[in-house]
Amino acid sequence: MSDFPARVEALRQPLLRFARAQLRNDAWAEDAVSDTLLAALEKPQAFGGQSQLKTWLVGILKHKVIDQLRRHTREATVLSRDDDEDLDEQLFAPDGHWRQMPQDWGDPEGQLRQRQFFEVLEACVTQLPPTQGRVFMMREWLELSGDEICKELAISSTNLWVLLHRARLRLRDCLQDRWFSAPGATP
Amino acid sequence: MKPMKSCRDITRLVLEGEVRQLSLAERVQVRLHMWICAACPRFQRQVRFMRQAMGTWKAYAEGDDTSRG
Repeated sequence: MSDFPARVEALRQPLLRFARAQLRNDAWAEDAVSDTLLAALEKPQAFGGQSQLKTWLVGILKHKVIDQLRRHTREATVLSRDDDEDLDEQLFAPDGHWRQMPQDWGDPEGQLRQRQFFEVLEACVTQLPPTQGRVFMMREWLELSGDEICKELAISSTNLWVLLHRARLRLRDCLQDRWFSAPGATP
Repeated sequence: MKPMKSCRDITRLVLEGEVRQLSLAERVQVRLHMWICAACPRFQRQVRFMRQAMGTWKAYAEGDDTSRG
């Protein structure tokens, strides 16, 4: 166990990347990771060794990420100006029909075996306006329920639905542009 | 019977279904629409695809760092 601190410290970068993806704020991400490393180093015996060290640390980090969101609720839920863009307007004609037929994205299994796909996915998630990105990651990575997210961020469920609606439409657009319509795309 | 929902309405319901349990009436509306529409089923598959992709990415990010940085 004497190499425990070194092994924990070695995981700082992947943990930071994880925290940044969720928090969209470098200072909060640093704090969440520092809290995680401290908690781990204070209670090394809590790591049973039955799971991977990283998996165990990520488990702690998720709680620290939520702590940060709680602490910074007000800033975490600020809507940036591009949150207002009416994406529905771009997608649908006034009669409610699609302006353009959605593309068939093909077989997920095949796409999800490709490493480059995840680079594009990460880039697309990172491009979401911060508040949209946060709630989207709370849902997808922290696996919080809608009610839990509303409670943590002190927003209404209608706000949440709108944020997630926009986040998913943006993500879809970005994947369409940067992966499915990209030259040399494989689907 | 209520008037048929537009693709725009159905898209909203499909996305809300990712956050909350749709009511029985809403699920029926979505199902009925999917029968008569070529575009919305594709959109629905895209939404499922994104959910699956996020899950796979998350598993990479949380687990073995030999699989991906």
